[in-house]
Amino acid sequence: MIETATQSVITGTMMGIIYALIALGLSIIFGVMNVVNFAHGDFVMLAMYLSFTVGTLFAWDAVITPVITVPLLFVFGLITYYLLIDRTLRQMYVVQLAVTVGLQILMRSAALIIWQAQPRALQYSFIQGNIEIGPYSILTSRLVGAVVSLIFIGGIAYFLNKTWSGKAMRAASDDLDVASLMGVNYHRTYALTFAIGAALTAVAGGLLMSFQQTDPQGGVRFGLLSWCVLALAGLGSLPGLIVSGIIVGIAETFAISFIDPRARLLAVYAIFILVLWLRPRGLFGRK
Amino acid sequence: MLIDVHELNSGYGKVPILHNVSFNVSEGEMVTIIGPNGAGKSTLLKTISGLVRSKSGSVAFGGQEIAGITPDQAVRKGLAFVPEGGRPFPNMTVMDNLKMGAYSNQEVLKTGILEEMFTLFPVLERRKNQYARTLSGGERQMLAIARGLVSRPRLIMMDEPSLGLAPKLVDEIYEKIRTLKVSGLTVLLVEQNTSYALEVADRGYVLENGRITMEGPANELATSDHIRRAYLGF
Repeated sequence: MIETATQSVITGTMMGIIYALIALGLSIIFGVMNVVNFAHGDFVMLAMYLSFTVGTLFAWDAVITPVITVPLLFVFGLITYYLLIDRTLRQMYVVQLAVTVGLQILMRSAALIIWQAQPRALQYSFIQGNIEIGPYSILTSRLVGAVVSLIFIGGIAYFLNKTWSGKAMRAASDDLDVASLMGVNYHRTYALTFAIGAALTAVAGGLLMSFQQTDPQGGVRFGLLSWCVLALAGLGSLPGLIVSGIIVGIAETFAISFIDPRARLLAVYAIFILVLWLRPRGLFGRK
Repeated sequence: MLIDVHELNSGYGKVPILHNVSFNVSEGEMVTIIGPNGAGKSTLLKTISGLVRSKSGSVAFGGQEIAGITPDQAVRKGLAFVPEGGRPFPNMTVMDNLKMGAYSNQEVLKTGILEEMFTLFPVLERRKNQYARTLSGGERQMLAIARGLVSRPRLIMMDEPSLGLAPKLVDEIYEKIRTLKVSGLTVLLVEQNTSYALEVADRGYVLENGRITMEGPANELATSDHIRRAYLGF
């Protein structure tokens, strides 16, 4: 019992850090642009498929595929922004909602046509195997996933705080009109924000494909997961996002270990509802 | 003439606010636009800076037509705007707020402009690593003015720098504005606080119900019957 619980905490922590990386993309898009991207989970799904295709084509390990899928998702993010999102900015929320939900349906249908309905997975990669510590084991693929995710989250923190583009994004998030008075072209800043949010899902997609399969409906889970992590964390705190990711990851692993593997999303939903009910601004959020 | 506004009409949606507003500011001059609440003073500055789109009329800045320009282009032409309430970026540090002032002209940071700002506003240096949201009202206003100056603008427009400040702080802010004037900066100052504005400015315009109703040297306006009765409370 204790051992299962400890093992769940270990595995959940690793998964949770990857979830934090996925939620980071959603968080910067929502935080900077005030755009609710309902298709975010489907960007993860697309990233996983692209990772599958690249991995199959070049016989690459899944963890290396982001070298190609990150630029692909970045460009896909740019195109999505200019073609769809940019036109919805000064519109009512319901327009944004309709557009991103429509994008979600479009992406799922496209995935179904391109990759068919059966789940796709890559050959087991070189980061298979476990690290054994006493009675516990850490799956190497999860550990690599968590470490790479932390590196990218740290990289985004550096970008936001130290570069001109990052500062422009934070300024636009705080006060769009005043940011434009400083010379920020918000179309460009928003496009970059959206593209980075999309590119982050490509990193996560490669990491996930080293131990998971994907199917056209795979986006549902990641969309929900990232919303739950974001709701728990609130806006504006990267450490808060990591802690929230870990909480969600552990809750999910506990549900799998102690209830039923099919109950994993139940725990995520439960947290989501509890947070919205008890603390709508999240555990670490400002304002 | 640095800026020459001619028959400018502007408003929000179908609601007209400004009616054929004309005024000008010469290089090195400090001009104030005074008038009651709701006269359209803020709308005027927002229209010039591009935050509000003009309906008709012209804005010549440095001999170049800039009506209809977007705000990010306006600042690149050398037009800085300190909005009402200052509006520093709350979740950025004082230092990052100042650096954002140089976003349109990043090379300017190498000219020692930040040191100049810290000399003018010593409190900002003491607070430079604090988030702007932790500053007091007066400090926010000073940060906003400094942020506007960082780009080394040809013209700085200030929207009610005294708004919501205690009298002692208003004195302090106006002392800084006077220093800026002495340094030769061109300033367009919008104020409801008529006595302060007319004391520091070279010339003034009175904006009432979206129309310029009076203009003249600041000291003449300050002694005119209409201004004394309607704005100075004599």
